[in-house]
Amino acid sequence: MSDPAALSLAAAAQALRARHLSSRELADACLARIARWQPRINAFISVEQQPADEGVPLAHKDMFYRKGRVSNCGSKIRRGWIAQETSTALSRLDAAGMPQIGTLNMAEFAYGPTGHNEHWGDCRNPWNQDYIAGGSSSGSGAAVAARLAFGALGSDTGGSVRIPAAACGVTGLKTTWGRVSRHGAMPLSHSLDSIGPLARSAEDCALILAAIAGSDPQDPLSSREPAGDYFLAKRKFRVALSSDWIERHADPEVAAAVLAAARSLGASLVEVEPPDFDTLSVHCITVMQAEASAQHARWMRERPGDYSSAVRSRLEAGFAVPAAAYLEALRLRAAWLERFCTTTLANADLYLLPAMKVRVPTLEQTGPRGGAGMPALLAEVTRLTRWVNYLGVPALVVPCGFDSLGLPIGLQFVGRPFAEAALLAAGHAFQCETDWHSRAPAERSI
Amino acid sequence: MTAAKQWSSEAIEAMLAAQGIPLAPGRAEKIATALNAATASGSLPLEFESDPTGYALALERCKAK
Repeated sequence: MSDPAALSLAAAAQALRARHLSSRELADACLARIARWQPRINAFISVEQQPADEGVPLAHKDMFYRKGRVSNCGSKIRRGWIAQETSTALSRLDAAGMPQIGTLNMAEFAYGPTGHNEHWGDCRNPWNQDYIAGGSSSGSGAAVAARLAFGALGSDTGGSVRIPAAACGVTGLKTTWGRVSRHGAMPLSHSLDSIGPLARSAEDCALILAAIAGSDPQDPLSSREPAGDYFLAKRKFRVALSSDWIERHADPEVAAAVLAAARSLGASLVEVEPPDFDTLSVHCITVMQAEASAQHARWMRERPGDYSSAVRSRLEAGFAVPAAAYLEALRLRAAWLERFCTTTLANADLYLLPAMKVRVPTLEQTGPRGGAGMPALLAEVTRLTRWVNYLGVPALVVPCGFDSLGLPIGLQFVGRPFAEAALLAAGHAFQCETDWHSRAPAERSI
Repeated sequence: MTAAKQWSSEAIEAMLAAQGIPLAPGRAEKIATALNAATASGSLPLEFESDPTGYALALERCKAK
């Protein structure tokens, strides 16, 4: 076999069961690639040379706690902090034969969409290191794309699984709010936070989700909805989309790739008015800022200088959100969810749109030296993801092409609450007909 | 109905100071600008009885059948 790290998670698990490969061989293949890629993309924070358990190695955003191990949360404030308990998601992956081979870079406290990190170094896109990996689960997207791990956990509060998945050309699932226990995972905004996998295919995401989904007495906000088996049954889908909006508002290369993918799905396409992305995003930002700032209030009073300027600015803004505005955004949430399901999805199973309306930007464009246009560009990066978190519904991003500079383009399916199985089945059907998900960035000589 | 006033940088400074949050220089004006721009327009009418817990019930009502 050429390079075991090039296998999908599903294929690697099958090879293990058939004894064609050992856990050690899979881990060694990943470790060899980590050694070659890490200096270029800075995806890992720590590496386990000897994973504790047998199985197919995964790596996770450095915010999932493991008892006795360090979880830095991408920050200076929590540098060297040792967890007292293991997160439910990690415990379930351990039990399912998916041991951890390392911790991954992330935006400071998961509060940024690009992968910049002044404390731990920026994570860079494996397809071109001048470009962002996307955030906040930057290392998760980059490590999976470069085949350094067979999958990764990320968290998504405003797009933090889907933006890195789109930017790095991997498959990422933002789960329904409450679908996956958040016990032992760093909180950012409890009304919006969700945990989900990034992997090389919808099939691989389904395997990870099957391991981690389900209620958890240690997370009282986790849902009792049965987890299901996420079996990727082939079926006919009705897919809603807003072609005219995509053509008028998305970058032309993004629009062309997404609309071509929509036409190739073999699904019934239903044209609909787009959801009110901007109003929903404003509600999302109101909730996120208020909750994140409350979470960080003590450190913002005692150690404001230990945050990066960008994250400190975001946290300062949350202290100016009026309590009535925060509560009104939460009161409105049910009505907006019902409107989405009864209008946008009235005659469809899924809603399709780009993951990002812009092409993947550079680190410089979106960093401290980004200039006057930087805030507007950042808003464009998250414009099509935040509204999903406000509604709390699941969404799947799959790669659907590359732009003229060779950077990936991501397609996003959005479903009803707890429709993860339908999303994964649609993504799997698309990936059975296309090979975007199986392309990996070239490994140039170092 | 009284029209909403715009937030000023002085009001933002006072609000954060009252919460014990030291503001980085030049930040109050930016926050005021962002806050003034962030008012959601065209939102939905709400029943008087609605409260945030209604969202959990809506998730149940709207889930995939």
